[in-house]
Amino acid sequence: MRNVLAIANKELRSYFASPIAYIVIGVFALLYGWFFVAVLGFFVRQSMQMGQFGGGAQSMNVNQQLIRPLLQNVTILILFMLPAITMRTYSEEKRSGTIELLLTSPITDFQIVIGKFLGALALYAVMLGVSLIHLAILFVYGRPEWKPLLTAYVGLLLFGGCFISVGLFISTLTKNQVVSFMATFGVFLFLWVITWIGSTVPSIEGLVTYLSVIDHFDDFSKGVIDTAHVIYYLSFITFGLFLTAKSVDSERWRG
Amino acid sequence: MIEVQHLTKRYGRVTAVEDVDFKVERGEILGFLGPNGAGKTTTMRILTGFMPATEGKAIVAGFDVFDQPIEAKRRTGYLPETPPLYPDMTVVEYLDFVGKLKGLLPADRRQRVRAVMDRTRITDMADRLCSKLSKGYRQRVGLAQAIIHNPDVLILDEPTAGLDPKQIIETRELIKELSGDHTIILSTHILPEVSQTCDRVVIINKGRVVAVDTPENLTARLRGSETMYLQVDAAHADAPAVLGRLPGVTRVTESDRRDGLVGYEVESEKGHDVRRDLARAVVTSGWGLLELRPMRMSLEEIFLSLTTDETPTATEDGAPNA
Ligand SMILES: Nc1ncnc2c1ncn2[C@@H]1O[C@H](COP(=O)(O)OP(=O)(O)O)[C@@H](O)[C@H]1O
Ligand SMILES: [Mg+2]
Repeated sequence: MRNVLAIANKELRSYFASPIAYIVIGVFALLYGWFFVAVLGFFVRQSMQMGQFGGGAQSMNVNQQLIRPLLQNVTILILFMLPAITMRTYSEEKRSGTIELLLTSPITDFQIVIGKFLGALALYAVMLGVSLIHLAILFVYGRPEWKPLLTAYVGLLLFGGCFISVGLFISTLTKNQVVSFMATFGVFLFLWVITWIGSTVPSIEGLVTYLSVIDHFDDFSKGVIDTAHVIYYLSFITFGLFLTAKSVDSERWRG
Repeated sequence: MIEVQHLTKRYGRVTAVEDVDFKVERGEILGFLGPNGAGKTTTMRILTGFMPATEGKAIVAGFDVFDQPIEAKRRTGYLPETPPLYPDMTVVEYLDFVGKLKGLLPADRRQRVRAVMDRTRITDMADRLCSKLSKGYRQRVGLAQAIIHNPDVLILDEPTAGLDPKQIIETRELIKELSGDHTIILSTHILPEVSQTCDRVVIINKGRVVAVDTPENLTARLRGSETMYLQVDAAHADAPAVLGRLPGVTRVTESDRRDGLVGYEVESEKGHDVRRDLARAVVTSGWGLLELRPMRMSLEEIFLSLTTDETPTATEDGAPNA
């Protein structure tokens, strides 16, 4: 465990030693701020209309009408941000030769993978932390429920974890960062839009909805933690990490 | 301490290492000598558990590197061809990280980091970023990380490659110091390196071990003799004896025999051209002389392809053609 954390810590540090962490967090903060203002403006206009037509502003629910659409936009941002976090995790170690240090240390391939996963997850959590600052404003001026917010963030972490595990796997396959980014992005976009096909072919709709990473997020943003979704995300992550470890091992055999 | 048996490694259809066998005793420094592409790095990567062998086995510090990799790795320190440094860490941070990877506990780790920096003389560079180190210091930090967990076995891949002459001497001194506590394998393609540092040498070429001996014996074997190849028709039982009596000839061995033709390898003292005497002896004995040519021992061929001078610029040479 100690060496897993050592790797996680090293990963996190190296993100902040390169421009990647700053670019990812900066771009996210900007776009998130933009979304926040846009959604807030829409919300304010709506509640003013509601006020004019008799119903009090109270009937507008901050959680349902503001936070939920906001977080849905956040998931789209994540689709762009996370491939940038994972794109060079393994390729960089290969390029610099430090992979020889990792693979000849008394730890298993899986421990290395988990360490790298936790490091990327930590950067992702820092990035999400930025979005909490905006939400804090809502608590100052209003009284949103915090419970759905909490579950939504748990959902975001799990959802992002899936991306990271796929991104890690893909970074073991290619040395090219652009290819790595695009492939991770592509795989995720596919898992995202897979429901569009599903809804036109009824026989596979159930399966396809199950596979779609984003559909499982919905309940989290409503304030519900359903174990089925948690299990889906955790198995997705485990599978991705397993593939990553396998890929590292098969590269050993090929030399 | 290290035992390698029938080790073979193939990359697809390329055989990098074939049927390599050797042993290293505790406290020994073994030199792994061979031209570029000989299979040194490949063998070391198998010993350190970086990659598995295609066939054969390797036992390091009593543990099979394939069956018990974690145990074997705990007892092995490895300096790859390029020191595996993280550019964005300072030397202290880096060594501390490696200490964690190797499973050292916090209190012990701090003390070990200080000890290895002291030992490899990099304490002055403690707070310098790894990316800002000179080649010589990078190599020393590489050595420091290899010994941080006080391993039984040290595996050093071309530890002096690319260093200037002063740094080479310092690194050799350091390696000799370390040999007190560790069993060491080091690879090199520089001939004088082994005679300066190693107790025993394994010469490897094209993936095969061609000789294992002490540096002194190997040099003697090379300096001492020249070999002729001689082919005559029909086998004559007394031929070796007849040829062996000629002045200057030290040894005669039959090398091949086919279609009634027999080939001999005739070793003679260096500087003593025995060709005329050989030809005369064959003719006067009434045998048919079919071929007589100087023959280079494979060992010598390999030595010729090794770099013999120590200037760092001359370290890149191709594999020899047989
Ligand atoms: N990853 C690899 N894939 C394919 N061939 C390789 C690989 N690594 C080394 N080789 C080949 O294996 C042989 C031995 O290489 P190596 O062990 O690096 O030799 P050395 O370290 O003695 O220079 C060479 O012919 C080299 O081209
Ligand atoms: Mg090499």
